[in-house]
Amino acid sequence: MSAGAPSMPDLRAEMRRGAESLATAAPPSQARGITSDLSVDEALLLHAAGWEPLDLVCGVAVVSVPVGVWNWGRGAISLASDAHNAAVDQAARALRAECGKVHGHGVVGVRVDVEVRTHHIEVALVGTAVQPADGNDPRGRDAAEAMPFVSDLSARDFTLLLRAGWMPVGLAFGACFVYSPRRTAGTAMKQSTQNIELTNYTEAMYSARESAMEKMQESALEVGGEGVVEVKVTEGPMSFARHAVGFTAWGTAVKLVAEQHQFVQPQMILPLDDAVVTFEAQSLRGAGKNR
Amino acid sequence: MTDLTGSVDPAGPPGPAAGDLPEAAVRRLQSDAFSSGLTVPDFAACLDLGLEPVALVQGFCVMQWGWYGPGSGYMRGMSPYAVASGGGGGYSETYRCPHGFVSAEHRTWGQNLEQPWVEAAWTQGYGSAYARMIEEATDMGAHGVIGVVDRVGTLADTGNTEFHFLGTAVKVDGGQPPAGGVPWSTYLAGQRLTKSIEAGFMPVAVVASLASVRVWAYCMTEYLMEGQVGMGWGGYASSGPQLVDQVSKAHMAARQLARKHVREQLVGDELHGATIDVATRELAQGDEVIDCTLRGNRVRRFKDFDPIAAPRPTVRLG
Repeated sequence: MSAGAPSMPDLRAEMRRGAESLATAAPPSQARGITSDLSVDEALLLHAAGWEPLDLVCGVAVVSVPVGVWNWGRGAISLASDAHNAAVDQAARALRAECGKVHGHGVVGVRVDVEVRTHHIEVALVGTAVQPADGNDPRGRDAAEAMPFVSDLSARDFTLLLRAGWMPVGLAFGACFVYSPRRTAGTAMKQSTQNIELTNYTEAMYSARESAMEKMQESALEVGGEGVVEVKVTEGPMSFARHAVGFTAWGTAVKLVAEQHQFVQPQMILPLDDAVVTFEAQSLRGAGKNR
Repeated sequence: MTDLTGSVDPAGPPGPAAGDLPEAAVRRLQSDAFSSGLTVPDFAACLDLGLEPVALVQGFCVMQWGWYGPGSGYMRGMSPYAVASGGGGGYSETYRCPHGFVSAEHRTWGQNLEQPWVEAAWTQGYGSAYARMIEEATDMGAHGVIGVVDRVGTLADTGNTEFHFLGTAVKVDGGQPPAGGVPWSTYLAGQRLTKSIEAGFMPVAVVASLASVRVWAYCMTEYLMEGQVGMGWGGYASSGPQLVDQVSKAHMAARQLARKHVREQLVGDELHGATIDVATRELAQGDEVIDCTLRGNRVRRFKDFDPIAAPRPTVRLG
């Protein structure tokens, strides 16, 4: 603990105080209870940064992929890519609408679940809507409520980002599907007896990568971001169409709101204990059981 | 673990377990030794907090809700006319075919329908297992149950659903018993519980809910989920991808309903550390059942919020 840290409270006294609060029945309340999927650590960190959780919010979109899209062809499979990008846009819009209903300024810790099927693509986003405890948003209250940010950063990362003078502005997303070029019968036969790079697949991956990354960066610029942090990528052939490869990239678009980047000056520590043992009640059941 | 054959003095007082606990459980709980499901670090943190472990308490319940025949409530989704009389007051949204008469197989009508009877069965199972765990804790004179683990699973091969609760009943050293003698409960234990208390959040109960939404696809949803878009139906794609409105709305509704059901149990308190799980069963193109489970810790603020000092960022070596 640093010298400036407050002294440890008397935990036993706090516990007794907590128990006392439950000793009498709570008065009936009409208050709209706060819901959040933040862990205790995250909730406390968020409070330390002056933000508070409001509500667990979600956005889901299912977009159809027309028949025939996955058939053999050349180049990009633009309809599938469009469907994917439309599904993300729509889901993010639904998430923002839910956030707006509780006057949130943004959504943190968004979990992105994507399912690509032959005839539809489903995107589900779940996160916690947050607002500054004192209502002061670096972007201005009205602007923030009109366009809440969507970020897949954890509350911890969000706090650190704020401290460095940056703000998340939105979820940047790009997806692209391409056909891997067909090999001629002669090439295929020749290659079947060689240990060799299949350049058609490699090229397809590169092509998909470029389009997806470009789309992601474009979407970051659209929401006023300067860059994208914590970019995640998925890539590979579709399980239902091995001749088509998909590449998706997403992350949180961020913008500098302070005059300049604030160096957070981390302190190095060398822990002398073993790995920290955290509470994991599931371990009570024994390894591998009932999984 | 305490021995099930722990000695009981037959001449002794009838003991705390006057309820309807199994006799073996009563004997075990009357033994002098305590039991706890906590890990050693959690156990140490629990003692630091002035919590005295009393016993490992559990609750079980096995439920069946596989009956879809007459009287199950399921039938009311089968016809547009049955809905109005079906009641239940749940979420429902109707979709009508824009095409006019096409054929007898054409799905002229579709509906998103909340399945309150599934939710009620789930809630009964979850609630009973929870109540049984709490009953054990109450009989022990415990003030709370920490480190709760709940599991909802399928009983081997039967298709029935098993609810299982497990937790460590504790007494607050020098603390007051909760109102009505009903112990509070939380999924947390160890340092996380300590931090929660330090921040001024007292656990009230673990809460959970299930929302079940059935999608009866109408023609447009069916076509879109089959990928037949652009030219109405049966045609090759000529326009861009389209949002499948009915299914998207059903997914949103399932999550919103789960949140609503949980909020009804909060009575103004807060829900922390929520987890949301969604299971989708596809029955045909567009026809599906979406089950959404939401669970978390209901907590009550017992002191004004006192923000912690801004933490110092560190880089961990090694």
